[in-house]
Amino acid sequence: MMEKSGPDLETLLHRLAETPAEFLAEPRVGNAGAVHVAALVNDLLALHGQRATLAALEHFTATGADVRSERNRLALVMITGWLLADAWLINAALPQHQLLHLLGAVVTELAQAGVAHQFVEDPDRREELVRVALARLDYRPAGETVAQAADRLSRISGVERKRLLEASRAAEQRAAEIRAALARKAAEESADKWSRE
Amino acid sequence: MVARMTDTAADEEQERFPTLTEAGRAMLAFLREHPAAPIYRNHSGNKLLAHEVRDVRQFEREVAAASVGWPADGKPAWLADFVRDTCASVPYYRQLGAAALTFELLPTVSRADFAADIAPFVPDSADVARMINFRTTGTTGHPLVIASHPVVAARYLAFHKRAMRRFGVELTHGAGQVGVVLLGYQQRCFTYVSVTPAMGESGLAKINLYPDDWRKPEDRATYLDALAPEVLAGDPISFTELLKLPLTLRPRVLLSVSMLLLPALRAQLEQRFGCPVLDIYSLNEVGPVAVFDAAAGGHVLLQPQLYVEILDAAGNPVAPGQRGEITLTGGFNFCLPLLRYRTGDYASLTIGADGAPVLVQLSGRSPVRYHARHGWINNIDVTHALQHLPIPHFSVHQRADGHVVLRLAQAGSRLGADARSALETLFGAGAVSLEVLTAQDKTVQYSSDLEGAHQ
Repeated sequence: MMEKSGPDLETLLHRLAETPAEFLAEPRVGNAGAVHVAALVNDLLALHGQRATLAALEHFTATGADVRSERNRLALVMITGWLLADAWLINAALPQHQLLHLLGAVVTELAQAGVAHQFVEDPDRREELVRVALARLDYRPAGETVAQAADRLSRISGVERKRLLEASRAAEQRAAEIRAALARKAAEESADKWSRE
Repeated sequence: MVARMTDTAADEEQERFPTLTEAGRAMLAFLREHPAAPIYRNHSGNKLLAHEVRDVRQFEREVAAASVGWPADGKPAWLADFVRDTCASVPYYRQLGAAALTFELLPTVSRADFAADIAPFVPDSADVARMINFRTTGTTGHPLVIASHPVVAARYLAFHKRAMRRFGVELTHGAGQVGVVLLGYQQRCFTYVSVTPAMGESGLAKINLYPDDWRKPEDRATYLDALAPEVLAGDPISFTELLKLPLTLRPRVLLSVSMLLLPALRAQLEQRFGCPVLDIYSLNEVGPVAVFDAAAGGHVLLQPQLYVEILDAAGNPVAPGQRGEITLTGGFNFCLPLLRYRTGDYASLTIGADGAPVLVQLSGRSPVRYHARHGWINNIDVTHALQHLPIPHFSVHQRADGHVVLRLAQAGSRLGADARSALETLFGAGAVSLEVLTAQDKTVQYSSDLEGAHQ
């Protein structure tokens, strides 16, 4: 993750702080709200020279499940969409699957952890959104090493800390399974080689 | 209770020999139940599923057809993809963020890293359910458990065949015959019988020539002659014991692994059995690496997907032709892909006439200098001084006061006296004493307590 050196962090933070009012408007959920977020995502992908399938865009139309959380999620999709319309990122030729993953699963997780507009108004949340977005696109802020970027991301992002904890648990479980497998009697018996070192 | 035991035994046989036919079962019975058979103390098997037997055969064809090596001023074509995949799928490298590093900046790893915990070096794709291990105690104080797989074990044969082909040997045995007998000569030894499905379920026996493993010592020759294997695999110690037996068998080839094989012992074996004796450089961590070919000037590499660097103590590549530590990237064990693995063995590297890289003056473990009559000499000079003698295994230690201790099993024999006088030509009369080396000793071959011996 974050293998490539990316854009200047300050530029993106400033861009988020200056998010235009249209991107802070109410997303369409049921009969309420003005902005059709699926159409906005479609426009964003077009800016990146891409065309999304209808199936992919369906994710950005509100489901009837929970109006409040859907509203928050789609509001954050709009804000993240504004971030991704940055000229540096457009020129980076980002793969569509990464963009859709960021706007989909990653934004859903961030929206569960905080109010969408906080990612514009609060300086720490702004930095969290920018760092998480860059990391998921495999970039780190310009001038930072991988270690620095990883450290700052985990400091500022509860979502990232949770992700790291889960990854660490999964890695430890896998390592324990390997150790156990190698300690089995059947593994001890080994298998045929035509020479033994 | 009896029925349950039988079921358990059947389940175990199914796991050890998933593709066993009646012919294979008959071969196992022949190996186990021969009147002169040894006391088999363990069980093992090929554990190969039917599709894996096909895969192993295909792998053998690919290894036979592939070229080994890389451009003199570059790296092998497969290396970049291999490094990328390994950095992405192996937890140890993923955690380091190694994918961002150029090859030369990737950290080296050593036996001590694997010994500390092998699990982080096993890729996500490795199937835990089929995993097996290979265990070595070694001489460096780091017992090692290597993650492996039945297919990996079966792949060894592809590299043995490549080595044999270099010496004009093509294996011809098949069903109803014994392919290989692996020889040990240790007080305690893992022994078992098996069959090789990729060779028509030919027989495989791993036996211990130590007399305690036999009903009577004479059975050793009777049994080996009855098996008449096409290949005998062992090490200089077990081959020395083999030379003492009144055998009539005529193997096609002998494979010597694990230890330095001195030319005099090789010549004795070649003369006695009338076949080539292949000295194979092989490690549990990576399998057969190279085979010695005097015409090529050293050990010729065998694996198409194994890249060798020669590094200095600081981990930097040495100048072409210089000696350093053999460091490996690649390999055929998909449970343990190697990235810059420092073997602890030393050689220089040249490119042979056929384009295959050659390890020149290969020696195990860290080089040691000895203070001799005319100044410092290398441990290779010691090897040269002894190479005309058929010594299976020895160790040389220089004490802090400069006195040299030569250990070999034959210390009390004429061979021991000859070995001591050979070393006294280097160190001076009276400067070398003899001690007995037992077959069980896992020794560091070259060592010294003298200041300046380890550079």
